[in-house]
Amino acid sequence: MDRFRQGDDSAFDRIVQRHAADVAALANRLLGWPQDVDDIVQEVFLAALAGLKTFRGDCRLRSWLFTITINKCRRHCRRLKRHRQGPGIAEAVPNLYLNENAEMAAIDAESFARVRRAVRALPTKYREVVVLRYLQGLETAEICRLLGITTNALNVRLSRARDRLKDDLKELTRETV
Amino acid sequence: MNEQQIKEWLQSTDRAAGPALFGPVSASHLRRRVRRQRLLWLMSSAAAAVLLIGFGWWSFHSRPAVPPAPQQDRRIASLEEQVQQLQAQTDRALELVHEVLAQERQQERIAALEAELARMPDPAAEMERQVDKAAFALLYEADQLYRELNQTESAVEAYEQVIHLFPQNQWAHVARKRLAEIKQLQFNESKTEGDSKCVSPSV
Repeated sequence: MDRFRQGDDSAFDRIVQRHAADVAALANRLLGWPQDVDDIVQEVFLAALAGLKTFRGDCRLRSWLFTITINKCRRHCRRLKRHRQGPGIAEAVPNLYLNENAEMAAIDAESFARVRRAVRALPTKYREVVVLRYLQGLETAEICRLLGITTNALNVRLSRARDRLKDDLKELTRETV
Repeated sequence: MNEQQIKEWLQSTDRAAGPALFGPVSASHLRRRVRRQRLLWLMSSAAAAVLLIGFGWWSFHSRPAVPPAPQQDRRIASLEEQVQQLQAQTDRALELVHEVLAQERQQERIAALEAELARMPDPAAEMERQVDKAAFALLYEADQLYRELNQTESAVEAYEQVIHLFPQNQWAHVARKRLAEIKQLQFNESKTEGDSKCVSPSV
């Protein structure tokens, strides 16, 4: 970061190489697995490029990039809602990885689609906590810092999100059993 | 379904969806994009400014000259003049009516004052009445002294005062009669007592 502040563009390239995949994965999950998240990634690093010189270093660079990603995804969702395209991206998701390992082979495309629909149907604030906790595997403190909420609020949101997912995925459980 | 199951379902779905796809990101590419955005913003701002200035210039210079007053305007002007004349005539008539009304009110007031004056009593007669009243009051007092209180000398003084103050009044004649009676009475009394002295009446 110091090199970047001194005008070394290659320093920023290294930051991008290091964090781009994480940012893209987070955006992909927050937006309901649309796969193509190039625009969001570009916007995130564009904002990072503009704000990196003023970045105080209060938190880790990765957390800062995640915060930007969350904000960009929120904005993207709002824009999609305005254009009445639903909360997420297109329903069709390539099943290229469906049969890659034995564990996934047991679950068919319909089940995944149902899970994706359930996650997309969640309100943004519930989807964010589910993604950050169960898919990104972040700790409670970090999630709270990223979203700017208290631990209690996080627990409440997680609990409600789980309840909704349980309701939506009830049939899926019966089928599996 | 518990939390662990939900987590497994989510992770399985995430794995099944595959990795996110995104193009290459580099500082130079992003800088170019920023420059392009800035250029676009500047151009759009400049275009908006040019359009605004052009519109202002056009609206200023394309303002039509004041056309000569058509016949309709002249007719309107003559009508306005007629209306003004009528207004002036009406004002004059109203002033005349106001003056006539004021004169009538003044005459009524004068008539009322004259009637009031006519009702008032004649001052000379009133004066005479007051004088008569005063003479009677003095005479009455003298009669009281003479007849009720039997104070003949005081009564004589009072009668003489009535004669002195109101010599032409009717009550002065009455006072003289009273004095004559008193003198006559005093004379008779002195005569009956055999007094040789003879008193002649002064009045």
